Amino acid sequence: MSRLLRRLRAWPITVKVPLMVVALMVAVSAVLSNQVLQRLAETQQRHLEELTGAYLDGLSASVVPHVLREDIWEIFDQLDRTRHGYVGVRAVHTLVASVQHRVLAASDPRLYPTQQAVPAALAGRFQDGVALVQDETAGRAFIRRALSYQDRPLGWIYAEIDIQSQLAERREVLLALVLTNAALTLLFAGCGYLVVRRMIRPIDTLAEHLHRGRDGRIEAIPQSKFGARHGEFGRLFRRYNALVRALDQKEALAARLAEEEKLASLGRLASGMAHEINNPLGGMFTAIDTIERHDDDPAVRRSSLGLLKRGLIGIRDVVRATLVTYKSGAADRALRPSDLDDLRVLVRQETARRGLTLGWYNALPPDLELPAGPIRQAALNLLLNACAASPNNGPVEFCAEVAEDALVIVVADRGPGLPEDVAAILQSDGRDGAPPAEGRGLGAWMVSHLVFGLDGQVRASPRERGGTRIEIRIPLAAKGVLRDVA
Amino acid sequence: MPRLVAAGAAPSHRSAVRSYDRRRFLSGLAGAGSLTLLPGRAWAEADEVRFGLTPVFLSSDLELLAQLRDYLSTALERPVSLVMRRTYQEITALLLSGQLDAAWICGYPFIQYRARLSLLAVPVWRGKPLYQSYLIVDQGRTAADILDLRGDIHAYSDPDSNSGYLVTQAALAEEGEESVAFFRKSFFTYSHRNVVRAVASGLAESGSVDGYVWEVMSEIEPALTGRTRVLRKSEWLGFPPVACAKGLAETPVAAAISAALTTMGDDPLGRAALDMLRLDGFAPGAPALFDGIAQKYDLVRSLG
Repeated sequence: MSRLLRRLRAWPITVKVPLMVVALMVAVSAVLSNQVLQRLAETQQRHLEELTGAYLDGLSASVVPHVLREDIWEIFDQLDRTRHGYVGVRAVHTLVASVQHRVLAASDPRLYPTQQAVPAALAGRFQDGVALVQDETAGRAFIRRALSYQDRPLGWIYAEIDIQSQLAERREVLLALVLTNAALTLLFAGCGYLVVRRMIRPIDTLAEHLHRGRDGRIEAIPQSKFGARHGEFGRLFRRYNALVRALDQKEALAARLAEEEKLASLGRLASGMAHEINNPLGGMFTAIDTIERHDDDPAVRRSSLGLLKRGLIGIRDVVRATLVTYKSGAADRALRPSDLDDLRVLVRQETARRGLTLGWYNALPPDLELPAGPIRQAALNLLLNACAASPNNGPVEFCAEVAEDALVIVVADRGPGLPEDVAAILQSDGRDGAPPAEGRGLGAWMVSHLVFGLDGQVRASPRERGGTRIEIRIPLAAKGVLRDVA
Repeated sequence: MPRLVAAGAAPSHRSAVRSYDRRRFLSGLAGAGSLTLLPGRAWAEADEVRFGLTPVFLSSDLELLAQLRDYLSTALERPVSLVMRRTYQEITALLLSGQLDAAWICGYPFIQYRARLSLLAVPVWRGKPLYQSYLIVDQGRTAADILDLRGDIHAYSDPDSNSGYLVTQAALAEEGEESVAFFRKSFFTYSHRNVVRAVASGLAESGSVDGYVWEVMSEIEPALTGRTRVLRKSEWLGFPPVACAKGLAETPVAAAISAALTTMGDDPLGRAALDMLRLDGFAPGAPALFDGIAQKYDLVRSLG
């Protein structure tokens, strides 16, 4: 039942309103038809009673003298002559019986033989002194009248009246009512459908545009579709278009902010890389100078070459990490433990500059069926944010492991805590489709968006004794391909 | 056997009727001394002839009555009033009391009151002044004899009808039966046609009817008679006659009525009436025609 109701509720309003009109019309017409037929039946009953009363009055007056004499011929003659003599009363059978309900004479003596008892099938119809009984199935009415003379009972008159014509009239009225009501119902339903269809056409237009918006192609409703429309729908359309324009502007702003963030990240990366390369470069030049000056000292040469080698290894690590992070195709590759370990190199410059202690725990298995790109991006963002938030010489902790069929990455710092609006963006599960308008929390929005794309969750919580703990939890059965990396 | 066909004698009678006038009629009436016999009639003041009819034939046919009245008025050159009553007894009483100049009665009352009635004319049907009584039953009934009708509801025509009562009473008497005990119930319809209706409708299981009426009805209303079957036909008996009170028998009016009836077939109006009655004509007749009825009357009377 409730399922049916749910289905009915799901029907379009263009169907529901005409159906309600039809249901209403059917209900109204049923009530009216019932009333009309009831009144007609009452009127017919009254007319029948009046007509049969007059018929029996006339018949009684004419047969009483013959009943007194038990003159069965004269009784029969009267019944036979008056059978068709009354307008409006079609007597099928009439009979006159004695007080003891024995037939004196009947219009059809073969059916009701003289001196026989009135059949129970006829006499039994008149229970509790009822004088008129209708049998609509047989199309007959049965009437009975007591005969008396000088207040002494003489006998009874029974009559069987054909009421087919009255019943036919009732059937015709019913048919006319049904046909008229059906025609009116159909007409009103059709009109209702057209009117409702026309009324909700603007809603269709609006719904169509909103539906397109789900696919990221939100568009304003062209002026041609609502023209000079005033009233509710005109206002609605104009407000919708204003909303679309505002969204367009917000998206453009977000795109620009994202681009600026990207450039800023690139700058930071380039700066970090330059620093990472510059540091060993100073030592390497010193080593080269030392080799040039002490070329003949094998110990110094070996020491300088070792310094050169370590410097080059450091440079190679930085370049490799950068290549691994940003080279094309890395996004869809399965996540390996080294993908996260490489992040240490990328944040080393920041940790070194601020004197931060990076606590690192990476317990990932060799291959996880999760895309490496977005996870690295999210983890890097969190690490950079944690480094930025931590006080100088403070600790930053990183932990990655698989727990309860999910990849869990935790980044914690001892900073002043996450602002509420940024925390909200971070934990929005990507529901907030557009990036923050003012650039604040853009990194948090990107992390949230990336994790949501993998059906994951982000939870931020303050730590005891200060700081923030951010946890990413991505189910291992998550989507294998990142849908939208913004 | 009387001469049955009156047509041959018609011209002389007809001229006698035509020459009949009021003065002669009154003088003849006075000469017969009828005034003393008929206290209810003032002939000197009455121009009208009163002719009684019993329901012996199809009395409901108004056109036939009109034809008959027109013919008699023309033939008698006087207005004629046709007097009808429901029963034979009423007409007989009117006739005997002198309130009717003549009446078409049944052979049974004619025999009952033969001392006080005179025969004026007898109808001729199928060449004879005779007819039969029929005992009729439902068409589908298998009864073969009158004794098979024991326990019936029986319809008689009239207690003073020969064919519609006396003949059946006599037949039962001949069988040693008494009608009251023989039939479960009996009733009178006061019309031969109604006897046929009663049996045809099933109201009565058997009926006694004038054979002439049944035969004429079988031509006019075959659907009605077709629902009945003649179980028994009586012997030929004298046809219901036209009679007058004995005291008027010798009066000119009686002679004129007799002449008018016996010459009826010569006149177009009379012929038309006869055709409607399916009769050949009227004959002067003789009381001996009704001897058969008299025997039945005596038989029934003898049994109480």
